[in-house]
Amino acid sequence: MQDISLHLLDILENSVRAEARNIKVRVINNVPKNRLRIIVEDDGVGMDSHTLAKSQDPFYTSKLEREKKVGLGIPLFKQNAEMVGGSFKMASEPGFGTVLTVDFTLDHIDRMPLGNLKDTLLNAIIGHADVDYYVHLIYRDKAKEQCFYLDTKAIREELGDIPLTYPDVIEYIDQSLFEGIQNTNMEDV
Amino acid sequence: MKTLADLKKIREKAQEDMKLRGGNVRIKIVVGMGTSGIAMGAREVMKTFLEEIAARNLSDVLVTQTGEKGLSSMEPVVDLIEEGKPKVTYGNMNPDKVKKVVVEHIVNGRVVSDYAVATGD
Repeated sequence: MQDISLHLLDILENSVRAEARNIKVRVINNVPKNRLRIIVEDDGVGMDSHTLAKSQDPFYTSKLEREKKVGLGIPLFKQNAEMVGGSFKMASEPGFGTVLTVDFTLDHIDRMPLGNLKDTLLNAIIGHADVDYYVHLIYRDKAKEQCFYLDTKAIREELGDIPLTYPDVIEYIDQSLFEGIQNTNMEDV
Repeated sequence: MKTLADLKKIREKAQEDMKLRGGNVRIKIVVGMGTSGIAMGAREVMKTFLEEIAARNLSDVLVTQTGEKGLSSMEPVVDLIEEGKPKVTYGNMNPDKVKKVVVEHIVNGRVVSDYAVATGD
């Protein structure tokens, strides 16, 4: 993976596979604290402590049908965060979903870029249009704080029986995310 | 700024559209979005499908995604599922190939056999 947004897409796919119906994504760019934090919270099936520990092991996968017994998604994300003075935390319990918190040191020279957050979020929202997403982007520096929200539940309420996958709706979500990412200075992190 | 009010207009237009064609999904595109697919460019592949389909206003084509399917050496992998026809799996996809598949297969109904890696269920 070349950037953080691709890791995020991978993680969101895990949540869907864990049967999440609601996924909350927060990206916080905190300049004074020199930290970029990604929080993904889902209401999927959750993991017991054994599976939770194992999920960070590259030679473990929850996919039973798999011939090659590797699962690199989580271990690589963890490695890429920890390598640059960040951290990777997962909390989970069967029946209570999973919360993932990943920190990156903003000004670390080897930190991977955030990348194309817009396409990651658009893909996840449209690719799993039966799942509800709550996206919250936050930018903080000494002078100001800027936020952006996107809630697919609210969009669905306006749309009635028109699906999120209708072309004009996809364009609407794409454009909303574009504006939100610009307003929170996330396009070039 | 996009606001929820913009959605009202979209809704009205979409409802008219649905009345005309009955809201059926003619073709379903499933992009493999597992770890290896993502690492090989599946996000750009899906984005290109969405763009091409929006540009042609193909409201009867649905783009969706799934996890890995065991074709890691041919990622990004895309399934094209059309009612009453065998499923076509395209492998080693990229944005240029997507554009060709949209024109040839989705619009003109001809399978792009150069990119197809499997057909059938």
